[in-house]
Amino acid sequence: MYRYIRQTIPKIDLKAKVTGKARYGGDIKLHGMVYGKTVYSKYPHAKILNIDTSKADNFPGVVAVLTMKDVMGNNELFGGFHVLTGDKVRFIGDGIALVLAKDLKTAEKAQKLVEVEYEVLPSVFNIDEALAEDAPIIHDFAPGNIIPDSTHHLIKGDLEKGLAEADFIFERTYQTQFIEHAYIEPEAVVAIADAYEEMVTVYGSIQNPFSVRGAVADALGWSLNQVRIIPSVIGGTFGGKDEIASTLSARAAVAAVKLGRPVKIILSREESILESPKRHPYRFYYKVGVKKDGTITAMKSTVIAQGGGYNNKAQFTNWRAAIHTSGAYRIPNIYTEVFGVFTNTIHGGAMRGFSSPQTIFGQESLMDELAEELGFNPVEFRQINALRPGDTTPTSQPLGPGKIPAPLPEMIKKVAEQTEFVKRKEEFSRINEGPIKHGIGMALAMRGAGLGGEGLDATGANVMIQRDGSVVVRTGLTENGQGLKTAHSQIVAEALGISLERIIYPNVDTMTVPDGGPTVASRGTMIGGRALLKACEEIKQNLFKVAGEMLDCSSVELEIRDEKIFSINNPEQSLDYLKVVDQAVSIGVMLASLQWFSPGVANLDHHTNQGEAFPTYVWGVVVAEVEVDTETGKVEVTKVVSAHDVGTAVNPEAIKGQVYGGIVMAQGMGVLEEVEEEDGILKSKNLDEYLIPTSMDMPEMEVIIVETDDAFGPYGAKSIGEPATEIPAAAIANAITHATGQRIRYLPYNLERVLLGHKLTKKGVRP
Amino acid sequence: MREFEFLHPESVTEVLDLLETYGDRVKIIAGGTDLIIELREDEGPENLEFVVNIAHLEELNYIRQDAEKIYIGSGTTHSQLAQSSLIKEKIPALAIAANSVGSPQIRNRGTVGGNILNASPAADTVPVLIALDAQLRFKSTAGERTVPLHDIYIKPYKTNISSQELLVEVAFNKLSRSASSSFIKLGRRNALAISRMNVAVILDQDSDGVITDLRIAPGSTTPVPSRIKIAEEVLLGQKPTPELIKISGEKVSEEMINLSGYRWSTDYKKPVIETLTRRAIQEALEGRG
Repeated sequence: MYRYIRQTIPKIDLKAKVTGKARYGGDIKLHGMVYGKTVYSKYPHAKILNIDTSKADNFPGVVAVLTMKDVMGNNELFGGFHVLTGDKVRFIGDGIALVLAKDLKTAEKAQKLVEVEYEVLPSVFNIDEALAEDAPIIHDFAPGNIIPDSTHHLIKGDLEKGLAEADFIFERTYQTQFIEHAYIEPEAVVAIADAYEEMVTVYGSIQNPFSVRGAVADALGWSLNQVRIIPSVIGGTFGGKDEIASTLSARAAVAAVKLGRPVKIILSREESILESPKRHPYRFYYKVGVKKDGTITAMKSTVIAQGGGYNNKAQFTNWRAAIHTSGAYRIPNIYTEVFGVFTNTIHGGAMRGFSSPQTIFGQESLMDELAEELGFNPVEFRQINALRPGDTTPTSQPLGPGKIPAPLPEMIKKVAEQTEFVKRKEEFSRINEGPIKHGIGMALAMRGAGLGGEGLDATGANVMIQRDGSVVVRTGLTENGQGLKTAHSQIVAEALGISLERIIYPNVDTMTVPDGGPTVASRGTMIGGRALLKACEEIKQNLFKVAGEMLDCSSVELEIRDEKIFSINNPEQSLDYLKVVDQAVSIGVMLASLQWFSPGVANLDHHTNQGEAFPTYVWGVVVAEVEVDTETGKVEVTKVVSAHDVGTAVNPEAIKGQVYGGIVMAQGMGVLEEVEEEDGILKSKNLDEYLIPTSMDMPEMEVIIVETDDAFGPYGAKSIGEPATEIPAAAIANAITHATGQRIRYLPYNLERVLLGHKLTKKGVRP
Repeated sequence: MREFEFLHPESVTEVLDLLETYGDRVKIIAGGTDLIIELREDEGPENLEFVVNIAHLEELNYIRQDAEKIYIGSGTTHSQLAQSSLIKEKIPALAIAANSVGSPQIRNRGTVGGNILNASPAADTVPVLIALDAQLRFKSTAGERTVPLHDIYIKPYKTNISSQELLVEVAFNKLSRSASSSFIKLGRRNALAISRMNVAVILDQDSDGVITDLRIAPGSTTPVPSRIKIAEEVLLGQKPTPELIKISGEKVSEEMINLSGYRWSTDYKKPVIETLTRRAIQEALEGRG
């Protein structure tokens, strides 16, 4: 029986946030601080012939104007990004100069006075143009505009043999769009150079402090121990405040060191949408073999990600896409190839799901199309092909009791029953006579939990009991609003057997904890929690040693619960937690521990991606219902039921919160959102043009939490952050298709696409 | 963001003096829900130096009636319109249209005068006011004049009203007891959405069900807001049938294409405005609006 795990605990940082007391990057004001504004490119692809800063330099209130010449270290960051671009611009969000002034208003005015002379170059704006034979090359290091290291394969069985065994072969193409994170807080960073400490500190909206630290050190030509990153309270990030946080922090740090004054860069919403990464558009070419009985014999997929002008994520999102493009199905023969291309557009980056919302849209649209072609209902067809105990994953990892749990068939059954899927589907088809048509759709997925073979997964935790019994917890992982501090505190309180109220959990400070990797891949609870457990275990051993001496018994027979340390053999024999802490302090026993957890290097063949791609997987099944106005194309998403295997539900209400938000984010991807560009120039400049769902658009939502017996995570906990948003867009698309009878293979299903089957632009019809 | 001097007069008379003094260097601000956005994007009137606030002037903020007419002060907000029991009772379509503007915050700031004079083709209250054959009363230091709403529009975002004139009032004749009205808006989402298209209908029938009055005013359809007479004529003097209602809708799209040509967006707009018109007529017939 747990005291804190599987309990709904209010988020520990809730009060400060809802009372407006939490301090965000934009709230920081320091004496002598100057404000930086970036001068952005006017063209999507052009040589820079000259940058004339003289007018801006001489503008009253301007302190300095920096260009690439002022960057003392390495101007080029990972993925081709620049601190400031000097030779040529590759998209319209390229930063060319940084104007520094006494206040934001002056910086904004002077920003317009920097004169840049360009020689415009031919551009490529989409995947086809990027791959055309005579396409202009965007980066010298990327021949054919293929993003280096972005190509990944998954090869299982024998594709040709599998296709030969099939009764039918189907080929389909699907494509997704650029999606903006639209976090509520636009980016803000403040850099402070300290001459005495020979150090620079950066505060701000930073999701991944250690990657940002690397970028800042690189830009300055300094070592890592001279750069300190302290994320402020973060107003949402969803993967977004990473490369943008790196470039902004590097710019601010260079300026702070140069000027010896604190430097703040705060983006307007327009600048945020312009410069920050997006969810990559993906295109999927599928060729799939199926038998008459519905079994899939083989699947070939070619997957192309649109990278934009720079990219430091397609190298990794594409690996995940390679693992997951064939879905959660028992397909014996698979050949998947994924690669990414540069284009003169805004760039793709990490966004909640990390390629999975795209792959699931492709794969789950395909499953519905196959079911329809073969005359199965969507549930039957998925039941025939779903992975189950005794199968192996596409990466050949065994599933079943004692191995990786595979609850998918039962989850499909449960969700189908609870939503009365088959009955509702038939009923809707029958009543759909008027212009408002009802539809129901299903989608499902498996998801590799954590980083897996994408990169080494490891993180640290530092737990310290103070002399008064209060506890400080530090990790390298960030609270992004997802509830990480709350889940971690629950784990610590449970493990130590003490009250959660005793815990204080400050924001990350890269000076105080080892580099624990980024807070991504839904790994916070699962991987961070394991490190915390190890630290608590060590502290508990020390507490028990002291208590054992006090009680005159062996420490191995001791347990702690509700702040009482007692002997299991004789519970009467007990001591107060505070008494033991007191004693430990007085005899010099350390009640602190710094621990490290890593599942180790994945045993994986990187050419075929066969092997231990992930330590474990989570599973999800989503059913969506819609009402489609077939005379206007307007879609109402009326209901979404979302079932997720979380291993152990650390905090059920927090999980529901993740899922509700995930559903609505996916609804945006499904029916509303697309960052639109015309010839490389942004059309969706602010949130009046880039529309996300409002509270008036949200469906009725139901969350089904599925718990499985999975030994990997802390107390068996796994992931929910990304699983929550990866599936519903595909389910909504399938529901709309059921309502209209017309399959659209492009997202989003907006007014025009639903009514006409294609998109309208000034430049003509687009699919 | 463009800079300007903010003027805060105490009366309409003072406003008129400022308008005369500063000419095209001044712009009136009420809710500011359009002007501030333009200025923030470094757009707006070329010679702008001053912004005159009228949002606080009580003399522009009223909804009242006499035996024949309803009078709305130009500074009346969308929220006030939407919540007015008089408007809700007499011309519910106008309350519905006002309530469909933006978000609660925008409706609390934005005014009917601003909605009219910003001249956005997607303005939500304008089709209803066009259908009502509303009259606008302007004041300037030179005096006062009344102009039909229909006559002020030149093209999207452009009116023929001089910068010396202040819109003080919108007025329209009350409808007969048996008349009904409807307003339908199609946005990309259910709140904070600019109308992709919208349409207002006012309709009256005699005791036999013959349509005696019909006014159809679509938004985001024609270059300037206007009633579509050829669509109205289809049903006027007739008992409505589904077939006639359908034809009426088709006349609206026919007029749209006549006036604007077949454009990149027409594939979508043509069937949709036909649908919206048909539905609005139907709603008005059912007396639901």
